[in-house]
Amino acid sequence: MIENRPWLTAVRHLVLILGIIVIGLPIWIALVASTNTSASFVSGVMPMWFGEEGLNNFRRVLTNEGRVLGVGVSASWMMWNSFIMAMVIAIGKITISILSAFAIVYFRFPFRRTCFWMIFITLMLPVEVRILPTYEVVASLGMLNSYAGLTIPLIASATATFLFRQFFLSIPDSLAEAARIDGAGPMKFFKDILLPLSVNNIAALFVILFIYGWNQYLWPLLITTDENYYTIVMVIKRLMTAGEGNVPWNIIMTTTVLAMLPPVVVVLVMQKFFVRGLVEQEK
Amino acid sequence: MATVSLRNIKKTYSNGFKAIHNLNLEIEDGEMIVLVGPSGCGKSTSLRMVAGLEATSEGDLYIGDKRVNDLEPSERDIAMVFQNYALYPHMSVARNMGYGLKNQGLPRDEIRRKVEKAARVLEIEHLLDNKPKQLSGGQRQRVAMGRAIVRNPKVFLFDEPLSNLDAKLRVQMRIEIKRLQQEFATTAIYVTHDQVEAMTLADRLVVMNGGKVEQVGPPLDLYEKPETQFVAGFLGSPGMNFMPARIQGQALLVQGDHRIDLPDMAELAQWDGRDITFGVRPEHLEACSEAEADFHLKVDIIEPLGADTLLYGHLPGSDSLMIAEQPGKRRYTRGDVVPLRVDRERLHLFDAETEQRLNE
Repeated sequence: MIENRPWLTAVRHLVLILGIIVIGLPIWIALVASTNTSASFVSGVMPMWFGEEGLNNFRRVLTNEGRVLGVGVSASWMMWNSFIMAMVIAIGKITISILSAFAIVYFRFPFRRTCFWMIFITLMLPVEVRILPTYEVVASLGMLNSYAGLTIPLIASATATFLFRQFFLSIPDSLAEAARIDGAGPMKFFKDILLPLSVNNIAALFVILFIYGWNQYLWPLLITTDENYYTIVMVIKRLMTAGEGNVPWNIIMTTTVLAMLPPVVVVLVMQKFFVRGLVEQEK
Repeated sequence: MATVSLRNIKKTYSNGFKAIHNLNLEIEDGEMIVLVGPSGCGKSTSLRMVAGLEATSEGDLYIGDKRVNDLEPSERDIAMVFQNYALYPHMSVARNMGYGLKNQGLPRDEIRRKVEKAARVLEIEHLLDNKPKQLSGGQRQRVAMGRAIVRNPKVFLFDEPLSNLDAKLRVQMRIEIKRLQQEFATTAIYVTHDQVEAMTLADRLVVMNGGKVEQVGPPLDLYEKPETQFVAGFLGSPGMNFMPARIQGQALLVQGDHRIDLPDMAELAQWDGRDITFGVRPEHLEACSEAEADFHLKVDIIEPLGADTLLYGHLPGSDSLMIAEQPGKRRYTRGDVVPLRVDRERLHLFDAETEQRLNE
């Protein structure tokens, strides 16, 4: 589409630039703050340029030197917790939903549609809605303060099931029939044909689900009382209330930057698959 | 190599729709059978039942002397070529062709050898490492056939394999399929809705309509002596002309008052007073002198095809369309009234009610 309307171009650029500022400024502040000393904030004015304390801040946070985080574990340990949580949730969700989509699309069993709709309506029940009963279940099963408790209740995913279902429906039936004639049983068809064809979708979902798992706040806050299972996202909020009147902004922002890093890395590394998985349909 | 028998095959879908009423067909070893008919006539369903992709509701299905009703498709020793090729998009051509053999547990070098042999026959050796995405339609079709050939099955099944190709390629691949089938002398069942494809490929043709077989036989037999009005109208392009007619005494009166004398008038006498349908193919209407004319065609549209010219028109006093095929050398203009004579040896009479053939 080629249009030549200067004022429209100007408006478009203005909106774009405003958008970039709105998104970019907080990140800029976080980065800058993470390199300053806590003293820089006493005046009440946010510093807008990098300080000298960057490396020192990161070292202190990562090792929890002098209990800067106000808890007994270091940021590196909490990042590890977050990483495990995000990975288990992402991989678990993908595994379960690709298998259930496979069952729903390729097998004729009684109440197949009912099963699909039951999975589908769980879309209306995210963790936040069912948080009390889910807490009750997890507590009764003795899974409080454990990785299982952190991840299992979040694994079931209607969104991913639905996405895989739509993708499988777009694969021509004759492919499954050709595989049947070629002597591939259901699981062999899944392994040899369906899984390789789904690689892009799996990668795209992994990115989304990893970030979903990494950003979980409410659920870990609720079911962990043991500091060993704290996640990095949880601790940021704790830091803001922990200080004795003096909020340690440099430490908070350092932790924030650390918490942002893994999702950014995942997106950058998997960007290519991500776009392909969402846009391109294999012909 | 094997015979295929379909005995009293019926197919009723769970919603009660009867796709196949009662199918009986004996296919000989090495024979190429073409199932042809309009869409929804049950030809594809029949093929898919032979393949095992669709269960039969009733009846027995034999490949060779083995009853295969309850066997999985892979155990029936068949190979199928699909309309959309159904190649595995993520596998190379060689892996596509060898996938069935791999599942049979054949050693890798034997698979490689067989794949290369089949690729040589189909002239796709240079494509073996390509992905289906990189191939043209015709090449994909060849790969799909290679996948069938490589397994050396008892029966080839073709489900409208040429429908996705352009016209020129279709003719080329049609000849190729015929050549391969003759070379391998493998029993083959071929489904198509294209009557030219059907006529050119078939050893025997099965014309189906509404889940029933209308007629079975060599293509030219069906062309020359269609048993039903449906077969008569389905085969041949342009289609046969049909006109209401009546038998009165020993005379055949077409379209009211066009009297046509037949060589064997005695035969007609038995249908005295009956309403019938008179059929004649466009190429059996010959331009003639005024005196000999059975019909006068008023020409509305002219289609000069070079070798032949098609005249579309109607009989004066009637609005039903009539087509005549004339040698291309003579020129016609719109509005001409052309006297035509019916080839007496090649006219068709059908019962108006049952649509069954009447004359010998």
